[in-house]
Amino acid sequence: MATIRIPAPLRPYAGGNSSVAVAGGDVSAALADLGQQFPELRQHLFDGEKLRSFVNLYLDKQDIAKLQGLATPLTDGDTLLIIPSIAGGGH
Amino acid sequence: MLTLTKEIHSLIQAHGVATYPNEGCGVLLGLAEDGRNQVTAIRPLPNVWPNEDEKPMRFRIDPQDWRDAEFDALAEGLDIIGIFHSHPDHPPIASPRDLAWASWPGYSYLITEVRDGRPQASRSWQLAEDRSGFVEERVEIE
Repeated sequence: MATIRIPAPLRPYAGGNSSVAVAGGDVSAALADLGQQFPELRQHLFDGEKLRSFVNLYLDKQDIAKLQGLATPLTDGDTLLIIPSIAGGGH
Repeated sequence: MLTLTKEIHSLIQAHGVATYPNEGCGVLLGLAEDGRNQVTAIRPLPNVWPNEDEKPMRFRIDPQDWRDAEFDALAEGLDIIGIFHSHPDHPPIASPRDLAWASWPGYSYLITEVRDGRPQASRSWQLAEDRSGFVEERVEIE
């Protein structure tokens, strides 16, 4: 199984866990499993069926967007990081 | 509620001064417990907003810099619990731009005003659960 690290503000929606073991052969399946285990978490990662625009996923140190996106294969022991894109401005 | 020491707040103010007239930014590291975000360290990060002329009013954090900060925090038993950034010559109030590009409820968004190159007050905000706006949170500087 792969592991998904849960960012601190999302842990209340993931049973308080800092990481969750997930089943699935690729990133998409792993996220679906995460959403099934913790349905309240899903809304913070997805807008409908699409990943929220500010959500990035890293397989260890690599952005999956530069691999095969949500179809990136996962193997036992892999760790996925959920990393937000942050921007803003004074006015 | 957000708690931090005077020393850490001074570091955040100093970063805002160093990056003036541009916006400066970084992440707050520490522990999140029972609705209280306790900052124990900060990591200033580059403002990678793509248009140099807009940096006095815009900031962006590169997700790869965030990723590196996340690994460093993990190694120290800490978490990223929020974001700090400066508002040069503008009040420390979460703006429509901050809201448009906000991430998740629970992160503290600490904003420090820097006026004429001198640091002013900081205020902190959290995204509402329904993402409709930012709600101010109490800041305790110990």
